[in-house]
Amino acid sequence: MSHPQRAAAFTSDAERTTWHDETLWFVRQKRDKAVYAIPEFQELRQLASDIKEHTLSRLDEYLEQFEQNARANGVQVHWAADAEEHNRIVLDIMRGVGATSLVKSKSMLTEECHLNPYLIKNGIAVVDTDLGERIVQLREEAPSHLVLPAIHLKKEDVGETFHVHLGTPKGEKDPQNLTEAARRHLREKFLIGQVAITGVNFAIAETGAVVVCTNEGNADLGVNLAQVHIACMGMEKLIPRTADLGVFTRLLARSATGQPVTTYTSHFAKPAEGRQMHIVIVDNGRTRQLGRPDFRNSLKCIRCGACMNTCPVYRRSGGHSYDFTVPGPIGAILSPNIDMRQHSSLPFASTLCGSCTDVCPVKIDIHAQLYKWRQIIAQEGELPVSKKLGMKLLSSVLARPAIYRFGGKIAREGLRFLPHALTHATAFNPWAKARELPEAPKQSFRDWYQQTVK
Amino acid sequence: MKVGLFIPCYVDQFYPQVGIATYQLLEKLGVRADFPVKQTCCGQPMANTGCEQDAKPVYRHFVDTFQGYDYVVAPSGSCVYHVRKHYDVVEQTGAVQHVRQATYDLFDFITSVLGVTELPGRFPHQVGLHLSCHGQRGLHQANESEMTPVRDGQLSRLLRSLDGLTLTELSRNDECCGFGGTFCITEEAVSARMGQDRVQDHLQHGTQVLTGGDMSCLMHLQGIVRRRQLPMRVLHAVEIFNVALQPSGTSVSTFVPQSTTAERV
Amino acid sequence: MPSRESILAAVRANRPAATPLPPVADFAGEATVEQFTHWLHFIGGQVIRLAPAQPLDQVVRQLYPDATRIASDLIPATVPVDQQTPTEVLEAVDVAVLRGELGVAENGAVWVPEVNMLHRALPMISQHLALVLDHRSIVATMHQAYAAVQHTGNYGVFIAGPSKTADIEQSLVIGAHGARSLVVLLR
Repeated sequence: MSHPQRAAAFTSDAERTTWHDETLWFVRQKRDKAVYAIPEFQELRQLASDIKEHTLSRLDEYLEQFEQNARANGVQVHWAADAEEHNRIVLDIMRGVGATSLVKSKSMLTEECHLNPYLIKNGIAVVDTDLGERIVQLREEAPSHLVLPAIHLKKEDVGETFHVHLGTPKGEKDPQNLTEAARRHLREKFLIGQVAITGVNFAIAETGAVVVCTNEGNADLGVNLAQVHIACMGMEKLIPRTADLGVFTRLLARSATGQPVTTYTSHFAKPAEGRQMHIVIVDNGRTRQLGRPDFRNSLKCIRCGACMNTCPVYRRSGGHSYDFTVPGPIGAILSPNIDMRQHSSLPFASTLCGSCTDVCPVKIDIHAQLYKWRQIIAQEGELPVSKKLGMKLLSSVLARPAIYRFGGKIAREGLRFLPHALTHATAFNPWAKARELPEAPKQSFRDWYQQTVK
Repeated sequence: MKVGLFIPCYVDQFYPQVGIATYQLLEKLGVRADFPVKQTCCGQPMANTGCEQDAKPVYRHFVDTFQGYDYVVAPSGSCVYHVRKHYDVVEQTGAVQHVRQATYDLFDFITSVLGVTELPGRFPHQVGLHLSCHGQRGLHQANESEMTPVRDGQLSRLLRSLDGLTLTELSRNDECCGFGGTFCITEEAVSARMGQDRVQDHLQHGTQVLTGGDMSCLMHLQGIVRRRQLPMRVLHAVEIFNVALQPSGTSVSTFVPQSTTAERV
Repeated sequence: MPSRESILAAVRANRPAATPLPPVADFAGEATVEQFTHWLHFIGGQVIRLAPAQPLDQVVRQLYPDATRIASDLIPATVPVDQQTPTEVLEAVDVAVLRGELGVAENGAVWVPEVNMLHRALPMISQHLALVLDHRSIVATMHQAYAAVQHTGNYGVFIAGPSKTADIEQSLVIGAHGARSLVVLLR
């Protein structure tokens, strides 16, 4: 299925679409309020973009510096070329310490690598501890948003899921009570977790520390009660200096949810005495993206989700319509790098309105990259044949004024004289499902000009 | 000053009144524009579909048509944005560079080149302004809500200067209408939904006349207004200005906004 | 080791032309108790200003009259905690009263390094958290905060308000996994 098909299924529930759109627009508005309050916000965006640009330009050096400092801190550093290797490394670490259970805070990288199913298949009990992640895990769904994994669900849905899995009373849908039930349920898991996995928001080259940002406190609780901490990071998470965190922590939460900062901004450099800390650095297509000049700055992404909240298409089609780990506009420029054929409809799931680019805290030119992916997808022959031929025909018409004038006249007069039922037949005119065609005038502007002016 | 008028393909065929109003308004402002008849299209529909390579002959034809003018003026921010931003894929000859710089959206031309920021005239209606994304975010003709809470722009300033005109205060000032070129066909469901939501925002806040600087957005929104038989008239902003700026003594804008199913402009 | 080498080689082959690293950012701002208080309230925390000679343990007893298990190195504790304290003891702590090093006016965050935590999990596992902060150690923004902290050490956390979530329909719920409430005691 392509994006349009999944999106059409989503919008067919008009009421839920309204709710989804309004809920995310509310987050966008909170973001706006927070952004307007910081006079230097646009300068911060530029700084963040420049810091990331610089880091990418010397990424190999920063990776080595980071590794060296992390090792000096007593951290074991692993490198994974792809998802498979990443998953194997995690499993090996767990087997090495004889662990069979795992608590995991939010990590889009492990989603990208499909770590959970791999570990479960190998006999490991995996518990996602972020509330939203836990909800979708219990429902055996994928997260539908980077920051708000369960944003596609209503409280009644969550109530039903918790009734089935956590034994909350049937019909309980109060978010306060449901969250309390999850707190109790997950506390038990934290207390017995042998290994804790976290994602990484920022990795600091000069100290070897990794920074994890959460609101719930689940990353810290998991890591600090477990014997082993495994931090899984995409290699683009690096920044050179601790001082750079000043820029990024000011941007991240404001862009994501409109909070002035996340509740917990946690810096992990050295394991507690007698415990272990591992860092897995993952490529999985990132070096390939680095080698694409038009697309490499998508690696600046700090996963705030602002482009999703602002995207009028995402808000009305839902995260699952993208069928990729990272949905929304940023997902639509990351996914073709992973599998162009499978995700060929995503760069077209946009009006190119540019709002994503305007909210991006690291100034990724998302809509320009969507446009560029379209060109590549067309060149690689991944456009539907009808579209491709149509465009060739259109081009040959538009480069020839006489044929163009003739064609335009045919279209206009066709619209004038053909019956409405035919011109508006939805079988071959999708426009007409929800819209009237323009009313065709008797004469074109060209005709008027030639008669009146010339 | 030699000004070439670029009337986008669909405006030429389906909205000639917009082209006529553009010609006449420029005339009232002292500019006699020329319409080179061999013009066709800017090539955007192909390029946005990924067929930029196929669009190159169209780009060359556009440049060839307009290279002899000091300014190229079009009542469509979207086409202008395309020429300025995306004609970078053909060889940057002097002619190409000139045409890219010299191509202006009509209201940008009136404001920035002619230096006109207020227009005399009367239009006693509540007008809802739909900002086109390419005009606003692409050409920076209006403030973006992503950056600032201040709602201001070239077109809103011109509209506010008209006597009797009230501008609708919308819930979402600059949300995309969902037209998006071929998007409106390939992603029909989302496109229609976006357009319906935009129209609803205007309806709720009392818009009688829905306007904008880009006929493509308006064609899409008008399609929804007419399908739903809503009490709202859809006009390109140039039509409003052209009507409002009648020579003194002439009665202006006598129409009452009503359901537009049977209306013809 | 092969993946390490192949990844680094691919980075070297694909990296873009060098661009400069911008100097460390610093924007001025208001380093005031008022700003700090405003933002901490905004994110669900509470600020209490201590009178000069007010005994801390008295304030804590007033704030948490029902708390029986208090962990702290600043007042007489009822639960002794160190890095070796077992999980089941930590889990039963009602209130932790710990020292904050630094407050950030623009967002209400307080820097708590490992040495102030008694046990790394204590600030999160305790049902309630009180941080004692010197009002003179409030800085304006995160820029100044990182400049003052310099090195984030083995482990350290900026804690901004109580644990919270909005994962169910964007309804804000205080008390997700970490502390259910956060009070900053300013002296």
